[in-house]
Amino acid sequence: MALLDIKNLNLAMRSYEGETQILHGIDLKIDHGEIWGMVGETGSGKSLTGLSVSRLIASPPGRYLAGSIEFQGRDVLKATDKEMRILRGRHIGMIFQDPTTNLNPAFRIGTQLVDVALHAGHADPSVLGLEAGASRGDFKKAAKRVAVEMLEKVGIPKAAERINDYPHQFSGGMRQRVLIAMAMIGKPDLLIADEPTTALDVSVQAQILRLIHDLVAERNIGVLLITHNLGIVAQICSHVAVMYRGRILEAGKVNDVLKRPSHSYTQALLNSVPTVHTKRGELMGLSGAMRETSA
Amino acid sequence: MLLYILRRLVLLVPILLGLTLLLFIVARILPGDPVGLAAGPNATPELIAQMKREFGLDQPLPLQYWNYLTGLVSGDWGMSVFTRRPVFADILEYLPATIELVFASLFIAVVAGIPLGLLTAVYKNGPLDYATRTLALGGIAMPRFFLGLLLQMAFAAWLDILPLSGRYPLIESPPDHVTGLYTIDALIAGDWSAFQIALSHLALPAIAMALSPLATIMRMMRSSTIEVLQQDYVMTERALGLSNRLILFKYVLKNAMTSTLTVIGLYVSWLLGGTVLVETVFDWPGLGLYATQAILTQDFMPVIGVTLVIAIIYLVAMLVVDLLYGVFNPKVRYA
Amino acid sequence: MTMTPIAIPKRTQSARLENWSRAFYRFRQSWLSIVGLAIVVLLVVIAIFAPWIVPYPEHVVGGTNTAARFQAPSTDAWFGTNALGQDMFSLVLVGSQVSLFSGLAVVFIAIVVGTAVGAIAGYFGGWVDEVLMRITDLLLTIPSLILAMAVAAALGTGVWNMIIAISITWWPAYARLVRGEVIVKKEEQFVVAAHALGANWLRILGKHILPNIVSPIVIKASLDMGFAILTVASLGFVGIGVKPPTPEWGTLLSGARSYMPDYWWTAVAPGIAIFLAVLAFNLLGDGLRDVLDPKARR
Ligand SMILES: Nc1ncnc2c1ncn2[C@@H]1O[C@H](COP(=O)(O)OP(=O)(O)O)[C@@H](O)[C@H]1O
Ligand SMILES: [Mg+2]
Repeated sequence: MALLDIKNLNLAMRSYEGETQILHGIDLKIDHGEIWGMVGETGSGKSLTGLSVSRLIASPPGRYLAGSIEFQGRDVLKATDKEMRILRGRHIGMIFQDPTTNLNPAFRIGTQLVDVALHAGHADPSVLGLEAGASRGDFKKAAKRVAVEMLEKVGIPKAAERINDYPHQFSGGMRQRVLIAMAMIGKPDLLIADEPTTALDVSVQAQILRLIHDLVAERNIGVLLITHNLGIVAQICSHVAVMYRGRILEAGKVNDVLKRPSHSYTQALLNSVPTVHTKRGELMGLSGAMRETSA
Repeated sequence: MLLYILRRLVLLVPILLGLTLLLFIVARILPGDPVGLAAGPNATPELIAQMKREFGLDQPLPLQYWNYLTGLVSGDWGMSVFTRRPVFADILEYLPATIELVFASLFIAVVAGIPLGLLTAVYKNGPLDYATRTLALGGIAMPRFFLGLLLQMAFAAWLDILPLSGRYPLIESPPDHVTGLYTIDALIAGDWSAFQIALSHLALPAIAMALSPLATIMRMMRSSTIEVLQQDYVMTERALGLSNRLILFKYVLKNAMTSTLTVIGLYVSWLLGGTVLVETVFDWPGLGLYATQAILTQDFMPVIGVTLVIAIIYLVAMLVVDLLYGVFNPKVRYA
Repeated sequence: MTMTPIAIPKRTQSARLENWSRAFYRFRQSWLSIVGLAIVVLLVVIAIFAPWIVPYPEHVVGGTNTAARFQAPSTDAWFGTNALGQDMFSLVLVGSQVSLFSGLAVVFIAIVVGTAVGAIAGYFGGWVDEVLMRITDLLLTIPSLILAMAVAAALGTGVWNMIIAISITWWPAYARLVRGEVIVKKEEQFVVAAHALGANWLRILGKHILPNIVSPIVIKASLDMGFAILTVASLGFVGIGVKPPTPEWGTLLSGARSYMPDYWWTAVAPGIAIFLAVLAFNLLGDGLRDVLDPKARR
């Protein structure tokens, strides 16, 4: 049984102009220890795929036409709201793109971390190192302790003090570290990271990626890393899925796909990435046959 | 923080100085003859001259203002020509009733308006949303005095479950004076029946005053909640499994409060001024009734006094609102 | 992102016309604004033609009919009669004149005075700004209803005295609004250019700045109309302002107070009239704001 098994996922979204199908039969299987990179241009449906796993797309506007998303053998599209809530935070962690807007500005980061830790702890007390039936006070104390530990783990200096700071008192990179801590505090089995470094300085990007990589390796969890940067995929992913207009064109081990792309789109995508070997004038943008003319 | 409050309080002094000067000028420039009115149509010129001396109205204007100003500080707010009592004593007597009424209506408006705004934002375009929004449109347009009359008609005359007017039955004595707010005093005295009596008198005027701020607070809260619900951090909070209740009543509420807070602050002044109307309808013995009576008899000093008190309460309320901003929005720094 | 060449449609109407038709389309989108507009139009028509359509013109000028006191609403007197036997329907119809006229006058005076003060303060800045704005702020801290009552009482009864009294408390809000807009517009290219070309300040303000800040003023004015009418009625209700026999909604309502609840119709008719007038102008104002300031749309 795979950790995550998406089969023939078809999703339509409603907007002003009416309903359009966005995802056309997505198939994707992620196991423990695998880091899946998902690449594709903006609007190809990467984020909606990621959100679907935690069933975070409201309906309306979203509507699943067909398919299933099995997480640890159970279809999340058929789960009750209560089951879904237990999955979120405890079994599936999520990180989003912009660290400046994804932390609640009105609350201390500690408050937000502790609430997530408490939620995960209520689903499974062992996350906080507690037995079932521990007192409220024990839960609070343990959640606070785990929050500080988690902040230290993601590399926030003086975590015990900084836990009382507000988001605006942190730099962008630090905020993303806090968000990673929030996503990992429930000891999830699957981490979905939607362009976690796109909004960050180049110098900070590498640190954040290394952090994610190390955490994942240590806990042997599955990861879906959404990005449009093949360089990132080549560096830290074990597998890659190439997405184009709501379809997965090809998927497999990074080495296989990037070395021997079977699809011309992947080839084109690869050519658009500068490497140390790229000669001046060789860099290509995406254009021509691959692009349809109307949106 | 403490320094900030102190600085703001010091800054109130020139504002209040300007205010007294402005009010004094307005009161003295305007035509009108309080002494003539108070002395009656048959008063002799000697009597009128004597009364003018008595109230200091025969002195030159700058001197009158100076006397008034030094008096203010020492608690001498002038004499009411009409009640023939010191204005300060009058105000102290009438102020608690007004405070009780204003706070009760603000309480109703905030306690009902904020959750209603939150819920209508969540169930946007549902039946509850349409019902409350329609009511809100009506609530803002409804004259307080007409609503008061309608409430009297319905609850006092027809249903006969609440008293028609007044603050406490005339034949009974109100609870021992501690704060002057009868409901609070009754609670302090532990007198449950007195509390019920006070509350039953308070209910209708408070509701009549509360409707418009309730509607505005609700509308404000609804639109800011809708905005907050679209923020990225709400998605993160949902993605990490926090319950809808926790997200709405803790994380969204605090963010949506900031803009609503301004509205609440502005309503303090609106409510205080509006007591003039509602206290007239309900014979509520507060500052509004006192001011109305003074205005109708062109009695300067009480009008200046009441206006000053209301302005001070308003300025303090704005200071409190500014401080509360910092509670709801940690980025605000008091410097 | 896929790019498609954007076809530029041929222009069939002038840009201005297109703007207007788009604005009207937006206005029509909200049926509440249409309801508001309809009631406002109805009110204006009633106010203009009241003298010719009232069933009992003699009651409007103070005539009484004590034989027919306190008659409940009937086909003879739709809204019943009051303590003097006067037809409430006639009184309420004519009452629209005072309300509409004084509401309009208050808002007009407030706009003229407020715009002048705000524009001068905003344009010149410095100590002129300081002095004017301190006075404005002071007036804003005074409870406006009480100030208006005091001034109206001191000036004596009469429509114009009441209008002046209310206007005194209303212009500061416009001064604040206009000052803010002028300060922003002052820095814009076309104003700086006009300045460089040697236009004098009156010309720059009148020709270049003020025409560009009409929308916020119109929005505020239309929302304020309702509250001006409400304030007029409030003064009438506490016994200041227009005196009988001139019919005025607030005064009618206060007269009816002593006969509640037995003769409820004497209060309900003028009360609902005030409510409807205020509601209509609020709805209209909301609609206008959506049209003129789409950003503020909620
Ligand atoms: N809430 C929504 N309503 C309607 N359409 C949406 C919504 N969110 C996304 N879409 C559409 O779905 C497509 C895929 O979006 P997304 O998954 O965000 O792309 P990506 O993350 O790959 O850039 C886009 O074309 C977008 O227009
Ligand atoms: Mg995306």
